[in-house]
Amino acid sequence: MAPPRPLVLTLVLVWALALGGLLVMPAPIHSQGVDVFLNVMAGGSKKLNIVIPEFTLVAGKDAQGLAKKIPEVAGADLRFSALFSVVSGTPPFPAADSETTKGMLKEFAASGAHAALQGLLTLRGDRAETEMRLYDLTNPDQRLITSKRFELRGADGRRLAHKIADEVVYQFTGELGIADTKIAYAGSASGTKELYDMDYDGAAPLRLTHNESINLSPAWSPDGRSLAFTSYMRGYPYLYRLFPFERRPIQLLAGFLGINTSPAWSPDGRFVALTLSKDGNPEIYLLNMATGATRRLTSHPGIDTEPTWSPTGREITFISDRTGAAHLFVMDAEGANVRQLTFAGFNTQPRWSPKGDAIAYTSRQGGNDIWVVSPDGSNARRLTAGPGSNESASWAPNGRHLVFQSSRLGSWQLFTMLVDGSEQQPLTRGAGEFTSPAWSPRLP
Amino acid sequence: MGHQRLQVLPIFSVLVLALFLVGCPKRPATTTAAAPAPGAPGAYGGAPGAPGAAATRPGVQPSPREFVAVEALKDIHFDFDRYDIRPGDAKILDENAKWMKSNPRSLILIEGHCDERGTNEYNLALGERRAKATMNYLVSRGVQASRISLISYGKERPVCAEKNEECWAKNRRARSVVKAG
Repeated sequence: MAPPRPLVLTLVLVWALALGGLLVMPAPIHSQGVDVFLNVMAGGSKKLNIVIPEFTLVAGKDAQGLAKKIPEVAGADLRFSALFSVVSGTPPFPAADSETTKGMLKEFAASGAHAALQGLLTLRGDRAETEMRLYDLTNPDQRLITSKRFELRGADGRRLAHKIADEVVYQFTGELGIADTKIAYAGSASGTKELYDMDYDGAAPLRLTHNESINLSPAWSPDGRSLAFTSYMRGYPYLYRLFPFERRPIQLLAGFLGINTSPAWSPDGRFVALTLSKDGNPEIYLLNMATGATRRLTSHPGIDTEPTWSPTGREITFISDRTGAAHLFVMDAEGANVRQLTFAGFNTQPRWSPKGDAIAYTSRQGGNDIWVVSPDGSNARRLTAGPGSNESASWAPNGRHLVFQSSRLGSWQLFTMLVDGSEQQPLTRGAGEFTSPAWSPRLP
Repeated sequence: MGHQRLQVLPIFSVLVLALFLVGCPKRPATTTAAAPAPGAPGAYGGAPGAPGAAATRPGVQPSPREFVAVEALKDIHFDFDRYDIRPGDAKILDENAKWMKSNPRSLILIEGHCDERGTNEYNLALGERRAKATMNYLVSRGVQASRISLISYGKERPVCAEKNEECWAKNRRARSVVKAG
């Protein structure tokens, strides 16, 4: 047999190339900003003080007031991150006078700032281009940490601001911020429960469905381009998919007899775990997104629903009433090795943190509140303690923030908090009820 | 023998995982029982094929909008977080079954509903169980299963909006509606 030899050679070559590729792969960029941040924190500060003066208009006509608006929005993003203390809205740096700029930086440093963000804004037609310069003020020479350009069509100042804020967070922490994300939810302002999305900070709400039935459980695909959801638009609760940023029709994903609910995308986007009752009882299945085939994972006469994937895609947490009250269980992605995670209360709505180290869930022990537990079942801790009901938590892609629904103000509204339960603040205060929030991945 | 088997199992799981992850077209055996093939009996709505193409055949069941309430059919109610039929409600269903059998051409849709205290997804499953338990009881009283469709509304269609037990008890219900055959 002649063929084997070249095949082996090819394989060896491919292997060598792969190894070589690994060897020459650049190490993760370690920004100088990370050291600044670590030093500031080590020095006892809880937050890094950053000054964001108004941006400097280099060219064009600023009809929308972007030079003011961008630093305002970016400043709000950095405050929300809870890593920064922000002073914004001071007069801009000059366009081209390095001595004055240096003098201003020295003044900021003297007043206790650790960093400063300079923005140079060029507006041409509907295009907005910004050069951001980030300075380390803990260094006697006010060293430039980074300089980066962003350009957006449509002069969307808010998105430009979010991208700048995310870059600042990246420079100081080594991980991109979460300001350039969306939150999808079900809203009842129109009289029926429809899906909407909005920026992570509540700006720009947009209605996504118009079918006047019941729409529930939006779940972002890992690429951030689509939402799976349950809708009664054809009478029965079927599973669909919509594309909020594209002119594409809504797709039917699963229309089996019974319920088609609780979608959860595998981290690689190849499968949607969901609950079907087509075989007589609510069980968890995998829907293969390439073939449409379904594969059953659970088999128990009780209720099994609400799958959520570990970020590795190896395990799925779900809820079951097989031991009486509903509790969290974990199984591997083939449905085997089932173990129970919670034993007290009545627990639903598990959501695995994108970092993998915690699972948020809703526990009813009196009222409903949000808890987190480690994936091994240890360290269960309560994040909310009323008032009202607190439910349906969804993680920001950095695993530091959660969005959830609360009835503490009367009607259901959305709130955010940090993963330790601090900084609980309202995100919506709108007409109707806001439920089932889903925080998007970082947008493409 | 038994011990050897136990030792082999984890390796088998890893193999299954590996096969699954590389997307082997040959469906690996699963450790769970009774995974039905797509399109198998019982999978009425679903046929194989990419989602969004011809993944499903909606319309097999008549639309819920075609069903109307009739006075003869009474709602039954459930205890909190339960889906078993209580003795008093069984009597109601006995009467409902009589009407259904004397109107053999009519189709029946059983709606399962929940109170607001449970969370969304769980309630959709719970409502399904309530509708199913109701159907099973009616079938045990001689109503043809083929005439009955189920729908769960979870907590999305309450009849009572106040936040007290009296109201919640009204919302935990199964309702039968009818389409003339």
